[in-house]
Amino acid sequence: MKLVLFLSLCFVSTVSLAQPVIGSPAPEIALKDVNGNTVSLSSLKGKVVLIDFWASWCGPCRRANRQLIKIYPKLKLKGFEIYSISIDDDQGDWQKAIAADKITWLQVNEKNSFYGPVANAWKIDQIPSTFLIDKQGILVAVDPEERGLEKRVTQLLK
Amino acid sequence: MKKYSAIFAFVLFTAINANAQFTSASLQASGLTCAMCTKAIDNALKQLPYVASVKPDIKNSSFTITFREGMNADIDGLQKAVEDAGFSVSKLKLTGAFSHVGIKNDEHVEIGGKVFHFLNVKDQVLDGEKVLTVVDKNFLSLKEFKKYSNSTNMSCLQTGKAGDCCTKAGVAAGTRIYHVTI
Repeated sequence: MKLVLFLSLCFVSTVSLAQPVIGSPAPEIALKDVNGNTVSLSSLKGKVVLIDFWASWCGPCRRANRQLIKIYPKLKLKGFEIYSISIDDDQGDWQKAIAADKITWLQVNEKNSFYGPVANAWKIDQIPSTFLIDKQGILVAVDPEERGLEKRVTQLLK
Repeated sequence: MKKYSAIFAFVLFTAINANAQFTSASLQASGLTCAMCTKAIDNALKQLPYVASVKPDIKNSSFTITFREGMNADIDGLQKAVEDAGFSVSKLKLTGAFSHVGIKNDEHVEIGGKVFHFLNVKDQVLDGEKVLTVVDKNFLSLKEFKKYSNSTNMSCLQTGKAGDCCTKAGVAAGTRIYHVTI
């Protein structure tokens, strides 16, 4: 009996520590934007959202920004949003990168690189890490491929 | 007499003071994926007791590592941490505060309890903040390493350990020898 209890405890703790699973609701995120206003993920319900963990010092993330810029404006009009979470320690570096990459989508910051509470909860081991969630806030893809992203988002917006 | 003791004290003082403390390092790692973008290396380096902070530096695509004050940084430990994380070191530069450390090209010198072998340098006395680049086998690409292989006839560059060549200079056989340049 004790063993069963122990095993079930192990199970519960594993589940709560695992990365968000496809098909389940995305855990809430509430972080501050450049102006210090808190932006929550749940406030975007009804939109298709790409959650994007990145940092100014991450080369591949910066390249991905340049790709996202190409598809963002037209998809935004249809109800798509990007919720970018920078894990920069230095707010100045973060803001410089936003300006340099001409990013117009939502940007929030969580300090402490890979060790902040949100990065921890989402089990971020490398960046860029992206998650696609549907209008109901359900996680539908982890690290969706850049090439097929526009098509995928358009389908979800229907 | 007073004059002599003053000189004696001065000599003693400089002898004790010929030392160096490494304060920070710039480490470039390479692998199949973007080394800076993974938690693995960052985490491995932060676990080291003598590492105070690790900061990614996108301009030089390297990690800036600050050592804890007064702690002796284990240079091989940095390399091992990177390797255990699944990457390899492609460049390691050590920044240290030096005082009265005389160095000669292709000769060994003990600094802060470690033996260093300087390659491709001019004979000089190191004072103030200096940057040493480690050129041991697993601290740079094989191509770069081969360049330095021609800089010395001593076997210790290949093994990183004191051999026959070094014992003549009073270094015990088997002692770890760090090969560096400026």
